[in-house]
Amino acid sequence: MKKTIKSILRHGFLAILAFIWLIPIIWLFCTSFSAYPGINISKFFPDQWTFQNYRLLLFDADTVAQFPNWFMNTLTIAVFTCIISSMFVLMVSYAISCMRFKMRKPFMNIAILLNLFPGFLAMIAVYFILKSLNMTNTRIGLILVYSGSSGLGYLVAKGFFDTISKSLREAASIEGASQLQIFTKIVLPISKPIIVYTVISSFLVPWMDFIFARIILNSGISSEQTVAIGLYRMLDKTLINSYFARFCAGGVLVSIPISILFMFMQKFYVEGITGGSVKG
Amino acid sequence: MNKKLIALKDGFLRPGKSFLEGDIFVKLSALLMGAGYFRRKQIIKGLIITIFQFVVIFFAFTVAVPYLSKITTLGTVQRESVFNFETMKNEENDYDHSFKILLYGIICIVVLTMSVVIYFINITRVRNLQLLAENGKHINSISEDIRAYKNDKFHMTLLFFPIMGVVTFTIIPLLVMISVAFTNYDQNHMPPTSLFTWVGIENFKNMFTNSVTISFGYAFRTVLGWTLVWAFFATFTNYIGGILLAMFINNRKTKFQRVWRMLFVVAIAVPQFVSLLLVRNFFADTGIVNTICSNIGLTHLLQSIGLVNANISYIPFLTSPGWAKFMIILLNMWVGIPYLMLIATGVLMNIPMDIRESARIDGANGFQEFTRITMPYMLFVTGPFLVTQFVGNINNFNVIYLLTQDVYVTLDQALANSRAKEIDLLITWLFRLTNEYYNYKMASVIGILVFVICAIFTLIAFNSMIRGNKEENFQV
Amino acid sequence: MKKRKLLAIVMAVMMISSLTACGSNSGTSTDTTPTATTAATTDTTAATATPEPTKAAEATATSAPATDLETIELTMWGAEEDQTMLSEMVESFKAAYADKANFVINLGVESESTAKDTVLTDIEAAADVFAFADDQLNELVNAGALQAVQIDTDAIIAANGGADAGSVKAATSDGTLYAYPMTADNGYFMFYNKEYFTEDDVMSLDKMMEVAANAGKQITMQFDSGWYLYSFFQGAGLSLQLQPDGTNLCDWNSTTTAIKGVDVVQAMLDIAANPGFVSLGDAAFVTGVQDGSIIAGVNGTWNANVAAESWGDNYAATKLPTYTVAGQQVQMSSFAGYKLVGVNAYSDNVGWAMYLAEWITNYDNQVKRFEQRGLGPSNVEAGASDSVQASPAIAALAKQSLYATVQRVGGNYWSPTETFGAIIAAGNIDGTDLQTLVDNMVDGITAPVQ
Repeated sequence: MKKTIKSILRHGFLAILAFIWLIPIIWLFCTSFSAYPGINISKFFPDQWTFQNYRLLLFDADTVAQFPNWFMNTLTIAVFTCIISSMFVLMVSYAISCMRFKMRKPFMNIAILLNLFPGFLAMIAVYFILKSLNMTNTRIGLILVYSGSSGLGYLVAKGFFDTISKSLREAASIEGASQLQIFTKIVLPISKPIIVYTVISSFLVPWMDFIFARIILNSGISSEQTVAIGLYRMLDKTLINSYFARFCAGGVLVSIPISILFMFMQKFYVEGITGGSVKG
Repeated sequence: MNKKLIALKDGFLRPGKSFLEGDIFVKLSALLMGAGYFRRKQIIKGLIITIFQFVVIFFAFTVAVPYLSKITTLGTVQRESVFNFETMKNEENDYDHSFKILLYGIICIVVLTMSVVIYFINITRVRNLQLLAENGKHINSISEDIRAYKNDKFHMTLLFFPIMGVVTFTIIPLLVMISVAFTNYDQNHMPPTSLFTWVGIENFKNMFTNSVTISFGYAFRTVLGWTLVWAFFATFTNYIGGILLAMFINNRKTKFQRVWRMLFVVAIAVPQFVSLLLVRNFFADTGIVNTICSNIGLTHLLQSIGLVNANISYIPFLTSPGWAKFMIILLNMWVGIPYLMLIATGVLMNIPMDIRESARIDGANGFQEFTRITMPYMLFVTGPFLVTQFVGNINNFNVIYLLTQDVYVTLDQALANSRAKEIDLLITWLFRLTNEYYNYKMASVIGILVFVICAIFTLIAFNSMIRGNKEENFQV
Repeated sequence: MKKRKLLAIVMAVMMISSLTACGSNSGTSTDTTPTATTAATTDTTAATATPEPTKAAEATATSAPATDLETIELTMWGAEEDQTMLSEMVESFKAAYADKANFVINLGVESESTAKDTVLTDIEAAADVFAFADDQLNELVNAGALQAVQIDTDAIIAANGGADAGSVKAATSDGTLYAYPMTADNGYFMFYNKEYFTEDDVMSLDKMMEVAANAGKQITMQFDSGWYLYSFFQGAGLSLQLQPDGTNLCDWNSTTTAIKGVDVVQAMLDIAANPGFVSLGDAAFVTGVQDGSIIAGVNGTWNANVAAESWGDNYAATKLPTYTVAGQQVQMSSFAGYKLVGVNAYSDNVGWAMYLAEWITNYDNQVKRFEQRGLGPSNVEAGASDSVQASPAIAALAKQSLYATVQRVGGNYWSPTETFGAIIAAGNIDGTDLQTLVDNMVDGITAPVQ
């Protein structure tokens, strides 16, 4: 009997916590179905419910809200960023974790130092570098910005590779496998957790960034923007009263795929991040 | 340390020695970089390096010289333009663009430095090649060379593109912005119309000055203080909260562990610019939370105990300094704990069972087990992670920017004069200085100071943990 | 130009295939086809206004046999809500000048209130023609972003009411006209609900607060904003001026004027403490109007629709009221606000950009702007029409314009006043001496540009 009460208490407590965590999300969800397009800061639930916001967002793009375009832009950027970043991260961390060469220590130290500089500082310089390459207002430009220096984020993956048994690689080496083969055929296949972790975290960057994208996509042409800046712009003083509900709908639409990603990848994510960040 | 110095000296001397001791082709390589390879029948390699040499020389004279010659002044010719009614276009003079001179000047320096290094390495390489040939040893064919990049030199293959990316998108921009800290690049000196120039350490002096007209010294102290307080609380509240939540969920008595975890993770799956902006409206002075608080009488209660000023009829969650700081730390827990919960889950699963068992046998209760076993283990394992979290929180832009931008108004005139706010971190202050006030020079100074602060913390923390040198021990 | 290309090549060599790998994926191509004139809406062409592509386009256009007209590529930025209307204006512009040149005109979205931020980050990449609020004129001129109006200057000045008209003054800096007045409705005035207030009530702020307090409602004005705050000090006869070097001259802390600085502060504190008054930002104003707790407030035309919808037939607007300071009734002043259209001084087709800017701000298009979007014309003739005069908001602005001044303040004005307003709105909790309070603010306002 005492056990059941304890169990109820335990789960009740968790339920309350989870509820607190989810209140804003619930509000986001409800407001996205609100018939009133602006922001209602005095009531939790909308007065009238409607699918209008989703319909407008998905099928009736206007000059402000071009969600389908934004989504495709962001998706392309995310896919390429994800491919390049993951490759860079895995390459760097393998080299630093599993190979021994003269410049290894200096590289690691430089990387640690570079990571200590605030990223926004260099924003304007990055913009002008892209401009000299004629790549502002292009998707390639953004892909390069997101993935260019991703090699610096090697620490977690290196930590993971450190946990892979050295003897495994040595055995393969004795059997005549080249380093390339060891990397692709032996180490990568058993590194699924860290690959998933790297892929997810780099895939998410373009969906979340509203700073760099705003500087680099400065043509003002709405259909070229990403989801993050497109949605962020809806909160402009002159727009918020007619677009807030649509902003919420957009937020929901972006969150759904990300949540699903997290749901399926939870296990790998946990293994990857702990394997890496902890043992390194 | 000595060893390193010797190695360094060796690195500088070796090309010279190689040059002196080498045969005529090695000496010729100093002129035509491919010469030594041609002699050893490595034609393709010789061609590639020679082409590289000509590209660099061409680049040096056509691009580097014009930009580098101006880098000491950052340009002298200001733009003048006259509208031509015939062509309907502006006729402009050949004006200087200070920022481009600085940027391209630094790119040139980087490219030329790299070329010089390659040049010297090349002489040593060619000399080694000569030695191989003289000793009758095997000289690699081009296909063997390529194969080496898949094997012994595989790290170079792996690192080439990532390093190029880092150089282009991190190192060069950083060098540029560090230089900006020594110029007067601000709203009154904005290219392309105006020029800016070097001013030495003027900006650093201003940053630590506190006078009637300059309040940066005061603002910097205030902002730095809060940045450190914030980083401390943000790191530890999340850390402890995350571990407690993870333990609670992972407890054997908890059912549906995956579902619970998922519920918390959903909160972080919503992009922060959506979720935090929502929360900001939630806690607005006229927002829902305030409506509820005043309906249930909480506002009145807080007023009566002095936590809310009697003059205002709402709780200033995000608009008064004290409340805003409290709320920011609290809301950061909302954002951060799920992450830490995921990480802690993984670590907790790895705690060796035998340690726990022995603790139980010794009669430790749950609390003792937590303080004596779980926490020390967690701290031991996640120490380096905590340091990175701390540094990450010093630079944590999103939470504070999204929660307070356009909402929070500083009540301190001296801070306002320097465009800072009580709740600003150095990073958000830096961002606003560049993005809203184009004060790039002071922003760069702040950026450099942030770096120094982070570096100090990292050094202290890592030294006290004696990490790095023993990393080989971790590998099985 | 050559140097830049070379540099680009060297950098490209440095990065070789990481670029080419996804090269085919680039969404925007810079080699725009010059013949795509027919459908020049937002998504047809690349917006890169960099010199090379434009020149390339010109070259192909002149050599093309189909037409011997020059092809002019222009980019224009306007507000989000105006896009449809702007594309109509662009079409009529093209038709009007069809015999002079072929036009490729790209429309981009950039809110008038933030145009300055985007333009100043990189002037060369900004649109050839862009709309902005008049408070940004100074900074834009200082940064050299604006081309002085050099075509039909006198006609434009005359159409907007001559050199002394507010809209012309707002677009003029140091005697030179730098922009084309587009609307004259960006100022603020008093909205009120006729259900509670008579026309006599709204003459005085004291009366309004009394009525509101009796009804258990509130009236509002944003204190923590230099924009609104100005009303009190300027109304009381204190002065604020912009110096040529970008700093401000300000005597708001004066102790020698008829109404002293502290008198104004005390008056504001009294207002803030009145139960019938609350200081609210824009978003809160809207919510308050909608849920009925706010029955009058100082705000601008951008919220006219909200008030009109919420209050229905009871919706009314008028000039700002008088307020009590040092025992006398003083008319509140205000910043007159205008929206202007500017031409980028770095445009490659600065002449045609001027024609376009002139076109979208001419009489016909100002009338169109009023009819479609309800925006008050700056053009005198357009503003005099009956339909314009019938709009309550615009009529209120016209009444207020007698007491309004053109907004000419240096960049250091905003932060200190915002903070000062916040302190007053919160009731000066610390009990700081009022003279110190206003002295601190003036120190900040008049500080040299750092």
